[in-house]
Amino acid sequence: MTMLVPPPPAPVETAPSNRPRRRSRDVGVTVALVASVLLVAVGSVVPLTAMLSTALSGSALPRYAQFVTSSTDLAILRNTLVLGLLVGACGTAIGFLFAFVQTRLAVPGKRILHVVALLPIVSPPFAVATAAIVLYGRQGAVTHGLLGVEYDIYGLDGLVLVLSLSLFPVAYLGMLGMMRGLDPAMEEAAMNMGASRWQIFRTVQLPLLAPGLAAPFLLLFVEGIADLANPLALGGDYTVLASRAYLAVTGEYDTTSAAVYSLILLVPSVALFLAQRYWLGRKIRTTITGKPSGTVHLITGWARWPILALAVFVSLIVVSLYGTVLLGSLTRVFGVDNTLTLQHFREVVLGAGREALRDTTLLAAVATPVAGLFGLLIAWLVTRRLRRAAGWLDFAGTLGVAVPGTVLGIGYLLAYRPDRYVGDLLVLPGLVGGTAIAGGSLAIVLAYITRSVPAGLRTGGAALTQLDPGLEEASMNLGAGSVRTFRRVVVPLIRPALLTGLSYSFARSMTSISTVILLVTPNTKIITSQILSAANTGRYGVAFAYCTVLTAVVLAGFGLIRLLIGGAVVLHRTAAPTGRTPR
Amino acid sequence: MAPLPHPRFRAMSILLTVAALAAAAGCARSDAGGRGAKDAGKVVVACGATEEWCAAMTDRFTEATGVEAEFVRLSSGETVARLQAGKANPEFDVWHGGPADGFVAAGEQGLLDPYVSANAAAISDRYKDPSGTWTGVYVGVLGFCNNSRILAEKKVSAPRSWQDLLSPGLGKNVGLAHPSTSGTAYTMLWSQVALHGGDAGAALEYMRRLHPNVLQYSKSGIAPAQQAARGEVGVGVIFSHDCVATQEQGFKDLTVTFPAEGTGYEVGGVALVRGAHNSTSARRYVDWALTPAAQEIGPSVKSYQVPTNPRAKVSEKSVDLRTVKLVDYDVAAAGRAKKDLTKRFDAEVAQAPKS
Amino acid sequence: MTTTRSGERLVPPKAGTDAGALRLDRLTKTFASKSGAVTAVDDVTLDVRPGEFITLLGPSGCGKTTTLRIVAGFETATSGHILLDGTSIDRTPPQRRTMAMVFQSYALFPHLSVGENIAYGLKLRRHDHDDVRTAMQIALTSMNLVGLENRFPHELSGGQQQRVALARALIMQPTVLLFDEPLSNLDAKLRGAMRAEIRRIQRRLGITSLYVTHDQDEAMSMSDRIVVMNKGRVEQVATPAEIYFRPATIFVADFIGRANFVEVVPEQVTDGAALVNALGERLRVAAHPAVRANSPAYLMIRPETISLQPAGDAGIGAVLRSTFHGHSVDYEVETISGTLHVTEAGPDPDALIDVGTNVAITLRPDRSYVLNGSWTGPDRTAPTD
Repeated sequence: MTMLVPPPPAPVETAPSNRPRRRSRDVGVTVALVASVLLVAVGSVVPLTAMLSTALSGSALPRYAQFVTSSTDLAILRNTLVLGLLVGACGTAIGFLFAFVQTRLAVPGKRILHVVALLPIVSPPFAVATAAIVLYGRQGAVTHGLLGVEYDIYGLDGLVLVLSLSLFPVAYLGMLGMMRGLDPAMEEAAMNMGASRWQIFRTVQLPLLAPGLAAPFLLLFVEGIADLANPLALGGDYTVLASRAYLAVTGEYDTTSAAVYSLILLVPSVALFLAQRYWLGRKIRTTITGKPSGTVHLITGWARWPILALAVFVSLIVVSLYGTVLLGSLTRVFGVDNTLTLQHFREVVLGAGREALRDTTLLAAVATPVAGLFGLLIAWLVTRRLRRAAGWLDFAGTLGVAVPGTVLGIGYLLAYRPDRYVGDLLVLPGLVGGTAIAGGSLAIVLAYITRSVPAGLRTGGAALTQLDPGLEEASMNLGAGSVRTFRRVVVPLIRPALLTGLSYSFARSMTSISTVILLVTPNTKIITSQILSAANTGRYGVAFAYCTVLTAVVLAGFGLIRLLIGGAVVLHRTAAPTGRTPR
Repeated sequence: MAPLPHPRFRAMSILLTVAALAAAAGCARSDAGGRGAKDAGKVVVACGATEEWCAAMTDRFTEATGVEAEFVRLSSGETVARLQAGKANPEFDVWHGGPADGFVAAGEQGLLDPYVSANAAAISDRYKDPSGTWTGVYVGVLGFCNNSRILAEKKVSAPRSWQDLLSPGLGKNVGLAHPSTSGTAYTMLWSQVALHGGDAGAALEYMRRLHPNVLQYSKSGIAPAQQAARGEVGVGVIFSHDCVATQEQGFKDLTVTFPAEGTGYEVGGVALVRGAHNSTSARRYVDWALTPAAQEIGPSVKSYQVPTNPRAKVSEKSVDLRTVKLVDYDVAAAGRAKKDLTKRFDAEVAQAPKS
Repeated sequence: MTTTRSGERLVPPKAGTDAGALRLDRLTKTFASKSGAVTAVDDVTLDVRPGEFITLLGPSGCGKTTTLRIVAGFETATSGHILLDGTSIDRTPPQRRTMAMVFQSYALFPHLSVGENIAYGLKLRRHDHDDVRTAMQIALTSMNLVGLENRFPHELSGGQQQRVALARALIMQPTVLLFDEPLSNLDAKLRGAMRAEIRRIQRRLGITSLYVTHDQDEAMSMSDRIVVMNKGRVEQVATPAEIYFRPATIFVADFIGRANFVEVVPEQVTDGAALVNALGERLRVAAHPAVRANSPAYLMIRPETISLQPAGDAGIGAVLRSTFHGHSVDYEVETISGTLHVTEAGPDPDALIDVGTNVAITLRPDRSYVLNGSWTGPDRTAPTD
């Protein structure tokens, strides 16, 4: 006879306390901080200061008086704000729509919608605007050809359409993460209390997501008002500050006016940014903490169809625009002479475009990892490490996109073109121009980085606020230094954000135009500048071919980044109704 | 989570920023570092023409002289901005292509060195600066770029005078850029001033009457060509060579006409950058650019501007200057009046409601 | 049936209404997973009487929460039916089921104040404003939340949040209350208080309640009946006392409380009792109906039913280890047939037994039980769910 009893619990051995790295943690943070501050200072603060010293110089002051008294100028300011608000609202709404379909609807084809929603991340300048004119303009293939109307796409409506469609992916990706992060128990609780789908959406989901909508709205607002290519191509009589500043340079040889317009353009961006910080700082964090439970209940009723239809409608517009770019690059003159030809591609790949293709890709490839890393690093410093300085670093990091590219470009010229001396000692050789070090490519890479960091900063920041700080504390408690914690815990956990940030950086660098156009040198040819040149001479076939090739390169880059980073790990509960693990 | 533990770090970051600012803002040398420097036997061109034209020009220059040539394609405004920023240490030696008003502006800012090339003697005084700050290399003539299909639909014949352009049949069917942002449009505005004997008020009155016919004042001077090509407007007011180039892209409906009253023109210039590192080579480039051989390159790369050198062969696709009446266009006066005139245009014309 | 979502009835019903009879009829739920289908709930049948408080108890992954969520309508059963007062509600969407649920994470809406959280459901029903107010006041008062109605959830303590969640459920006047481990986020003291509070209110209102927990103490102290589940199946449905003293399976005996199992072969089984030999004694012990004479079975002995006396050479066991808890002492006693766990409650300070002492062992046959099954050793999944 044997007697079997539960054995006594094994004595828990207390792990020896092992935290010898406290010191090194500080060093790691300091290095990260210094590097970030330096990058931000060199990339945007210094050039902007150079620009501002022009904008605030004595000779510029009368321009402000002129601005506030000129009805033309005030109209431009109003136009800019209206455009920003509409683009922010529409882009955020479209992003929300797509995220909602993705996370809450039980419908087929979600994967396709996801891809379509990511397509506009690659939006080469002029391509989408031109395609919009060809399809939806006064003589547009759709508006005139199919519907028989003479719709005048130039102006505010066209701008809002094209900018919203070009910029919404950021909003989409942000909200996708947010909606997946919502505790499904909230919805279940509401459902349990008798709330219908619509009531749940209105009383629970929307209010919970509302604070999170502010970030994409702000980003879209800022990008919308800072965009240059589209107002140039589609603006018509509708002038905004960004195009006005650009034209002050190109049409009037008046850098001072350009600086003044730019400074005024900075005001709403900065104001909104500060307002958002203030608001978010006061508002309770509705990011859900604690243990989420329950399953996501996908909408299966009839209501999913109209929502899906709306998303499909938007997708069709996106696809039509990109399809036009592709077709346009393959036909002699799209819409006029639709003979298929590879002549445009030949010119791009084998002819004049080859160098530009090589240079741009190389420079963007250098800039991308740096931008992605710093975006994340700054986000981490801001959300986790800094207190009072956080706002400033965050702000400075966002400056790269908050200011119109032309302004930044002029700033680069002013700040980095001349060699800098202290006494007779050369402290900083010129960075811009063919005679500069590395043939001026350093300045271009720097500009790429500066313009790309904000995307990584935003996505990284959003991901970090959803990440329990306890995980990092645990890592440090176990003796890992700050840098190691960042590398081994933070980065893997927010890998999707890193992936997004890197992809976005690469796409931005490849398609950036307004800043670098002032920085190109004989040794560094840039695709976008070639596109502009082709578009300016009416060779849209070539411009489209450039855009197609550019898109292909960017997509290949996405693939490579994905390969290197290791794809998007699933950190969220699956949305499939049967995917829940039993408890 | 431990926030930044020491004020030391904040201090350090502030210090860093300040240091960077000081290094960047404080101590640029005002003297031109390149002045008197040795000529490196090459020339760097800021080129305002099309990419193809620029490439062809520099290649042929190297062939002709053995001097290496590089170029960056830039619009006039970008060129001025870059010359301005790099005043102390210019990256360019020559500025080639782009309308003369840009050269005038750059000259006034002291960014160009006057140079009267021996070859400039052949060129009409009309097309060059007397002091040699810039010299004309090509001429573009303002014309009407008509979409014959649209005009047929509207039952309007192609305009042959500025008066024809006012035809009510062309309501919202004229493509025109904004004169404050487009050199092309400003050329048109100043042409009106010239046609009205220098009376700006009368010129603006004409623009006011034209206003209902204008679809929009687009930002870029080239946009009306595209609008006409795509049939968005019946007539685009642009330089005729732009219309021809667009036509060549395959838009067969386009035709060019010129106003009988007289029309404006632009002169594309070439100039020497002040303090150029390679001033000897730069002079050779200017000399060369004025030769007939250099001026005949344009049409081979689909740029149909008219050469300024009378000995250069004129392409049949270019406008024959003998058949077109030109107004007396004073580039310098036009440049001086620009700010006020465009401001008045904005206030008196552009804001008026249409139809 | 008096309770409806139309909500005419804002005053708590008297105890003992006959509404709220819940029947789970052969419920089965299969999930698809990467490694094939997983049966989370396996043929579960259960009758809950109106006003009864039933607890689903079991280790992590036993299917108790899934069962609850099927009842709430958040999951759909693969097969089987749910009947409420005789009517099938299989096809009733969760928002129309007259059930209110208290979530493990409370699921309080962070953007709504306490008052708005509580009134949420009633407002959805478009109740008269004053009615909602009245009902809310009653709920606030009964849950001891007066004065907190304008606070936000994140400004409350865990216990307060818990009470808001309960108030929010109760104000809906549900026919059935569902609890998904509602106390697992509270500290021990608060947990005790909340147990009593939930039970008190449930008794007063007489609402049928289905309560999920992995905490046996919670189950024991609150339930009218306990459903012990394991691997998706029901092991036993019985009152807490029956579960404890008359466990149907080894699993139940082992999961509830602590138990010593001694292998026995009953000599005879008569009148629900078996004659067994254990520790050198011949004992007549109550037996599970499935126990047969002359086939191997187990004698379950609860540690607190054993008493030890120091006995020198006459002892049949030796104390291996003793752990002093204050209110009790745990001994491990080496006997001829293995180690026996013994708990002595209210120990005599002068009669603590030293390690090494030989002891005599006294069993209480009336508090032991003989049952079938296989016992392969401790199989307690750490209850984390």
